[in-house]
Amino acid sequence: MWEWWRKNRPLLLGGILLLVALLWYSVNLRQQDETNFLESVVLRLTGPVQAGLDRAIGGVADAWGRYLYLVDTAEDNRQLIEENRTLRAVLTQSDEVRLENQRLRLLLDFKEAQEIDTLPARVIAEDASSWFRTVMIDKGSEQGVTEGMPVVVAEGVVGRVVRSSPRFARVLLITDASSAIASLLQDNRARGVCRGQGDLLVFDFVLRQEDVSVGDRVVTSGMGGVFPKGLVVGHVKSVDRQEFGLFQTIAVTPSVDFSHLEEVLVLLRSPQ
Amino acid sequence: MNRTLIYLAMAGIAVVLQTVLLPLVLPGYYKPDLLLILVIYLGLHEESLRGGLMAYLLGWCYDGIAGIFPGLNGFVLLGIFLAVRGVVTRVNTESSALLLLLVLAGTVLQTVVLAFALDFFSQASRVWPQMLWQLPVQLLMNFICAFVLLRLTVWLQRTLLPRRKLPGLRKLDSRYES
Repeated sequence: MWEWWRKNRPLLLGGILLLVALLWYSVNLRQQDETNFLESVVLRLTGPVQAGLDRAIGGVADAWGRYLYLVDTAEDNRQLIEENRTLRAVLTQSDEVRLENQRLRLLLDFKEAQEIDTLPARVIAEDASSWFRTVMIDKGSEQGVTEGMPVVVAEGVVGRVVRSSPRFARVLLITDASSAIASLLQDNRARGVCRGQGDLLVFDFVLRQEDVSVGDRVVTSGMGGVFPKGLVVGHVKSVDRQEFGLFQTIAVTPSVDFSHLEEVLVLLRSPQ
Repeated sequence: MNRTLIYLAMAGIAVVLQTVLLPLVLPGYYKPDLLLILVIYLGLHEESLRGGLMAYLLGWCYDGIAGIFPGLNGFVLLGIFLAVRGVVTRVNTESSALLLLLVLAGTVLQTVVLAFALDFFSQASRVWPQMLWQLPVQLLMNFICAFVLLRLTVWLQRTLLPRRKLPGLRKLDSRYES
């Protein structure tokens, strides 16, 4: 027995170590919504370096674009003047619409359903691995950012805060495989759950008989308790309605371009 | 103790590269996994207990900046370290080509173990088709990165510390030193 143990000791010890690591991971899955001590330490240590580097790179790129690389400036200038003229015309029109809207709101005694405080934050780093979709922002618990808070931009939903340290936080993007948002189709109000699939989203649990078309807008339903109702998630890219089965398979293109994410808004108070 | 600190410093540099600098120059979300390369190196040059604990610690630190599952990367990197230790007595660790080969094998193993741990244990939606789709690009990136790192490390050693041996680099192939 002793001889067998000595002979197989490395293999057995390795196996036990691996099993313990797997069990520890499995146990920790229950606390995946909280920031543990080690994660907080890593965020505190890496955050300032990442923020500093991000600022330095931004500075260098800015200086290069403004003072050194001026080849396209004249052309850009001409295009901008033209664009400015067009936008002025559009603005005059939209002013009219805004005033009309204001009048109608007064008439209907419209009240804002809910005012939510927002906090602007800057994206300073991406996820270290190719397999996950998270970003780090330069605001943390000192500014009131805690786990579970929704993060948005003007185009739509970005994700939710999953880790928070005093000055930095990590945001799980809606395109990550671990992300799921209670959503609905804006036109026919069909409900479902939008799950991350890397670059796209999959809109699950929409009944087969629901009429869904390519281009339909998907918005948050407010049912999950994380995101307020009515935020844009994306647009339907394709619909696969099988002959059998309860649900249809819907692919959704996110409305946010995650490859150019620089500034975001953290919604400081969750709707529920 | 010195070696441990050096490995931690290297991991720190890897983290900054992977989260801030490489995303600026590489397309999409793809980036080489420098910590994986470091753990394979640990497997080739460190003894089981010390290296195993270091790989597990690196994995836990990795969890702080990658994904949302505490302990996942600890389990994966420990598994890769043990796999490398398992074959290290049967191969010629003097060869730097072996490191490149192990990086390729390690990337495949990492993908398989990650997919297993996520699909069987977590609430994440099915990840393996997405990982399988990403695997060829990840293999290429890790391979190129390991190759460049080998050349760069030997050049740095020769230029900056010609009379000293850097920890963990004593067994490098002499082909890179000419």
